[in-house]
Amino acid sequence: MSEKRYTKREGFKISSIPLTYKHAIPVSKTEKFWKGLAEGKIYATRCKICGSLYFPPQADCANCRSADMEWVEVPEEGVLVTFTKVYARPQGYEEFDPYIIAIVEAGDVRVMGWVMNINDESKIKIGSKVKIKPVYIEKHDKYIIGFYV
Amino acid sequence: MRRVAVVGVGMSAFGVRNDVTIQELVWEAVREALDDSGLKQKDIELSVVGTVNTRGYELMPAVVVNEYSGLTGRGPVRVEAACATGSAALWTAYSAVASGQVDVAIAIGVEKMNEVDTATSLAVGGRAGNYLWEFHMYGTTFPAYYAFYATAHMQKFGTTEEQMAMVAVKNHKYASRNPKAHFQFEVTLEEVLKSRPIAWPLKLLDCSPISDGAAAAVLASEDVARKITDTPVWIEAIGYSSDTSNFTRRPHYLGLEATRKAAEMAYRRSGVEPRQVEVAEVHDCFTIAEIMAYEDLGWVEKGKGGIFIAEGQSELGGKVSVNLSGGLKAKGHPLGATGLAQIYELVKQLREERERGRQAPLRNYIALGHNVGGTGHYAYVTILRR
Repeated sequence: MSEKRYTKREGFKISSIPLTYKHAIPVSKTEKFWKGLAEGKIYATRCKICGSLYFPPQADCANCRSADMEWVEVPEEGVLVTFTKVYARPQGYEEFDPYIIAIVEAGDVRVMGWVMNINDESKIKIGSKVKIKPVYIEKHDKYIIGFYV
Repeated sequence: MRRVAVVGVGMSAFGVRNDVTIQELVWEAVREALDDSGLKQKDIELSVVGTVNTRGYELMPAVVVNEYSGLTGRGPVRVEAACATGSAALWTAYSAVASGQVDVAIAIGVEKMNEVDTATSLAVGGRAGNYLWEFHMYGTTFPAYYAFYATAHMQKFGTTEEQMAMVAVKNHKYASRNPKAHFQFEVTLEEVLKSRPIAWPLKLLDCSPISDGAAAAVLASEDVARKITDTPVWIEAIGYSSDTSNFTRRPHYLGLEATRKAAEMAYRRSGVEPRQVEVAEVHDCFTIAEIMAYEDLGWVEKGKGGIFIAEGQSELGGKVSVNLSGGLKAKGHPLGATGLAQIYELVKQLREERERGRQAPLRNYIALGHNVGGTGHYAYVTILRR
């Protein structure tokens, strides 16, 4: 193996004036989804005019330009399509143990979520049936979608 | 549409560049590109500045870098297309020349990524999908997105962690011969496989580094190019496409549809066939990305990318010589600079100016650059010919 040569040039530095963003996200048009999670429901939207199904839910149908949407529940069971386990956690998630994120096909939509009942990624198989339900994450005071393999 | 040539290229050393500001870094690339073209700033009619710059303190840096480079008044237009920003800058400058609006333009790409810590950098990168529905709820990271592809590709096609590691070994080998690369050292298969997990199944040495860097290309119309250089490199076509921001809305996780469509456009517009490409820089932000690129760019059938690397088909002198710069994986991946650094490398390759041990053997003198933004959110495929 060769000597580890790499480009790393340091020098005199000064600190910037810190900048903090904390956004108030306007989710009024998808309010039912966010409140639904707390009630154990996961909602998608469907266009009443052309039938297009949206998950994540959206208030406008880009297909037929209608805003006439109805809320429909995402099935409680699905099939695991792919997954990963996040070891290098980003800012905001440092206090979590490494977590498994998966994509699950549920009826005609796919949803992202955390696998809640298995921690060993080698025990997870693509194609497995999973139960889908909202779960409360205390550290962030939020609900997310949880998967149970 | 007029023919457009690349008449000058420049690139800074990639790596941790905490010795310079963004404008000083840009100047390293612009100075070299101007020197290479033989042109002066007054000859440049338009400057296009590509930078993502979500980690920088200079939030609107286009005029800052333009001023420092003596280009005030010549543009700038700032563009952003995540990790494909450099190609978006190239496309914008190319379009301005091809349409006849200007005769000479410069495309500049730059990224400073090491002025914030790694956790912050991961949090910014993880927002590259759709913040509200993904990062906000699940803490997705950039490696995690490509890990989704790796897991699915492995399961469906039997692609192995060893095959992915071979991409890292190959690209580090060429980077060790590239004095401008971030990582100028080789790695062994075992070292890659034993490196710490980042987002399973991707490990540290499957990932491109967090790099600073700048690159630039001077473009000219055919009339101007013929007058100023004996070695114009022609932009035969630039194909582009995109995919959904919501990862869950992608049709599958076995390849990048945006790449496939951008490649189809580039091949069709240039009349070049995949097998004619002799040297390529492909978007290997993670090792799985290079394996999928072999397939999506049409060099091998879908699912056989792992075998393509294992057989050495992408080595120097193979079916197509891929990432002789070291790729994003080892040369480094400063987002806004990457697309133009690919052009820098390919122009040097086509002019046969590369160092020993990493100059591709050429007969057709056809090169391909493949630059992906986000996790397949954008893709650009550029075909160059000398």
